[in-house]
Amino acid sequence: MKPDIDLFGVFIPTLLIAALGCYLVYRLLHAWLARIGLYRHVWHPALFDVALYFTVLGTVMLCLEQTIS
Amino acid sequence: MMSKLKLKAGGFALTAAVLACALVLGHHLWDYYVNAPWTRDGKVTADVVRVAPEVSGPIQTVYVTDNQLVQAGDVLFEISEERFQLALKAAQADLDTAHETMTFKQSQATRHATLREKGSTSQENAEQAAQEAAAAKAAYRSAQVALDVAKLNLERTTVRAPVTGYVTNLHLRQGDYAMAGTATVALLDADSFRVTGYFRETQLARIEVGDPVRIGLMGTRNDLSGHIESFGRGIADSNTASNAQGLPSVEPVFTWVRLAQRIPVRIGIDEVPDGMALAAGMTASVTVEDSASGA
Repeated sequence: MKPDIDLFGVFIPTLLIAALGCYLVYRLLHAWLARIGLYRHVWHPALFDVALYFTVLGTVMLCLEQTIS
Repeated sequence: MMSKLKLKAGGFALTAAVLACALVLGHHLWDYYVNAPWTRDGKVTADVVRVAPEVSGPIQTVYVTDNQLVQAGDVLFEISEERFQLALKAAQADLDTAHETMTFKQSQATRHATLREKGSTSQENAEQAAQEAAAAKAAYRSAQVALDVAKLNLERTTVRAPVTGYVTNLHLRQGDYAMAGTATVALLDADSFRVTGYFRETQLARIEVGDPVRIGLMGTRNDLSGHIESFGRGIADSNTASNAQGLPSVEPVFTWVRLAQRIPVRIGIDEVPDGMALAAGMTASVTVEDSASGA
């Protein structure tokens, strides 16, 4: 994994890009789960949301780490 | 009623499961970013030889151009040698004088010795003549050394590259006055390229000498490979700076937030991808692979 990403000469940590990207993924996932009605059964929706976001981010970073360069 | 309770328990289990996942993955993320031995704070480093002439004089010819690769022993520039040729001639003349004096004093001493044997001169005169002959001989040897020095000075008007390397930031022009002992050419040793990785002190326990290292240069696709050569054994501690009286000026601080110091780690470069030119000062990201203590 590249530790930073080149944005027109400004080098940004990969984690920052991943965190932003994963937020979008999480919002889509959240919308989908809300539509199928999962949140009616969830205990503490806010806690569930936070955990969901970090699960997505953690998974993405784990996959990126495995891909060498 | 029963089914409602079941649904509630299911919801609790779902949240707990996702939370557990998040904690495990989050811990892994934390470990990777805080403890794993990699750093974005690395620099390509090389040794610089500051070439200075041994004699002073105006520069007659510059044989190299900026950024040129020179081999050890190649001529870099020449200092005008007229003055040194004259000095050599003077030294030669001094040597001749000393030689003449020595010959004369020696024959004088021999003559006095013969006369002394016959008893027609005093012991003092004979001793004085012998001493003068010895002194003249010493003066002759001294003049010989002076001649050798003059020859050496003449030779050293040609300044050569002490190592194979790149001429860097050359501002030398014909007619510049070169001062003896003042660096005129910066020569970057071509065999000394390495990477210095500034690792946090908390990461050092997970790095060992000899560990393989992957080096990514900023903006390049292909990585270099290398290995840990050694650890820096000291960085400056501002508390040891002393005041005018020679006492240590210790900062009266009580910090809640402390930052890990960064320790320079020397990394030898094993392989450079084809067509990649290294320059000292480039930014590098350094990742230690398969470190023995586990990453």
